[in-house]
Amino acid sequence: MPVIDIIFRVDEICKKYDKYDIDKQRELGASGDDAFSRLYTSIDSDIEAVLRKAELASTEKNRAAAVAMNAEVRRTKARLAEDVVKLQKLAVKKVKGLTREEQESRCDLVISLADRIQVIPDGNEHAAKQASNDWGGGASAPNKNIKFDMSEEDMDDGFFQESEESSQFRQEYEMRKKKQDEGLDVISEGLDALKNLARDMNEELDKQVPLMEEMETKVDGATSDLKNTNVRLKKQLVQMRSSRNFCIDIVLLCVVLGIVSYIYNALN
Amino acid sequence: MSSDPDKMMSKADKMTKLTLTRWSADWRGATELYEQAANGFRASNKYEKAKVALEKASKGQEMQASPWDAAKHMESAAALAQKLSIWNEVADFYRKASELYIECGRAQPASDALGKAARALEDVKPDDAIQLYTDACEILEEDGRDQMAFDLYRACANVYIKLEKFTDAATFFLRLGVAADKCDATNSQCKAYLSAIIVYLYAHDLKQAEKCYNDCSQIDAFMKSDQSRSASRLLTAYNEGDIEEIKKVASSSTVSNLDHSIIKLARKLPTGDVTAIQMNTNDDLDEDDLT
Repeated sequence: MPVIDIIFRVDEICKKYDKYDIDKQRELGASGDDAFSRLYTSIDSDIEAVLRKAELASTEKNRAAAVAMNAEVRRTKARLAEDVVKLQKLAVKKVKGLTREEQESRCDLVISLADRIQVIPDGNEHAAKQASNDWGGGASAPNKNIKFDMSEEDMDDGFFQESEESSQFRQEYEMRKKKQDEGLDVISEGLDALKNLARDMNEELDKQVPLMEEMETKVDGATSDLKNTNVRLKKQLVQMRSSRNFCIDIVLLCVVLGIVSYIYNALN
Repeated sequence: MSSDPDKMMSKADKMTKLTLTRWSADWRGATELYEQAANGFRASNKYEKAKVALEKASKGQEMQASPWDAAKHMESAAALAQKLSIWNEVADFYRKASELYIECGRAQPASDALGKAARALEDVKPDDAIQLYTDACEILEEDGRDQMAFDLYRACANVYIKLEKFTDAATFFLRLGVAADKCDATNSQCKAYLSAIIVYLYAHDLKQAEKCYNDCSQIDAFMKSDQSRSASRLLTAYNEGDIEEIKKVASSSTVSNLDHSIIKLARKLPTGDVTAIQMNTNDDLDEDDLT
């Protein structure tokens, strides 16, 4: 038979058996009018999300990220716990069109929700276990259920004796610390010397500053004097070397040479 | 002009002497001749005559109202006198040169001249040297150039230390501190105070040293400095009679940055002072003794 017919038939069958579809019923129930079912479904989905996050946190290699995620999980758990309290109040309220059994079942649902929230792992159990181990020895009086961690057999002489490894380790640690201290001492002495040098240089430069300023003013005065003198000299030279004077000089020179040669010839 | 310096000298002398024919002395010509004569004498290593010539040249410049040149000639004359080891003339000439410089209004060269004189006389006439140093410092302080005076104060204090007049040396270091304070030269100031304390300790004067430390602690800059920490360590070490600690402080870098003479004193510190330490430890016993 044609494909479209098959599709239509499948749809019909699904519609017929919809009441057996749990997820869909839940959705329908979620879109119900009363506040209880709405809140219940929202808390439910939040719990799912938190569980996923808690799983991620437990598999996370980076310690810092794991800690951050655990903190997030704890925060959400606290919020959900508050919401559960609200839910409980709603559960007790009487709603129209609800049978008695459903009312009771609602209270049970709320309690189961609260338990589920508590169970979510948030990294605290590990720390709690460690803490309980450390405190196993003391504080047993108020709570009779706590047992001592260490048994009597372990309390022999060798229990608190430091092993060879640990004493070697300690020695090495001390030696390295001493070497580090010596190195730091050398550095500190060098820095002291540098500091003193720097300070002396600083003072010397401070001394030189007013001298430099004085020198600057004096040199400025000298340059301006020099400039003036140069300008005047230039003027003088230009005046002296003006073309008219130059020509006159040459002419007179020629005249003198002429006279000298005449006298020379006359003598010879 | 004859190139023989002696002839030049006599000619110049004649120029300056007032006679019937000469009613006013020709200082310009005379000065020129004196200068040339001095150069000639110096070239032929006749220092005594060169010195005399320079003296007269300086006088000539003075007459010509050019104190700068006069001062310069005086300084050269003094340097020659130093070479000839005529010490009182050295002092006189440098003083005259300094006065001439002050006339020019130039304080720095004036104090430099006195400083040169003091340095020349340090070994031979230390008291005069000290006087010259003090005068040089005063000239600079009057002119407001305290910073240049630091070196002079230090040199003066060194002379006192050589003469073993330790209180005077310490006083000079304190004066250095005052001068440094005026110029905000905190490093020099703190070093000066530490030097003063060390000098007092070297002179076995623990009380004076402590008083000095207390006085100096009033000054913020000193209080915050490394030098004051070293000083307090030194004083506590002295009070407890802890020779090891004294030696450690004396060889620390803070002390090693002071003047050489002070470093020498610091290195010698505990050995010059055993009796004082014993006195201190006796005091400690008395305190512990409750009877």
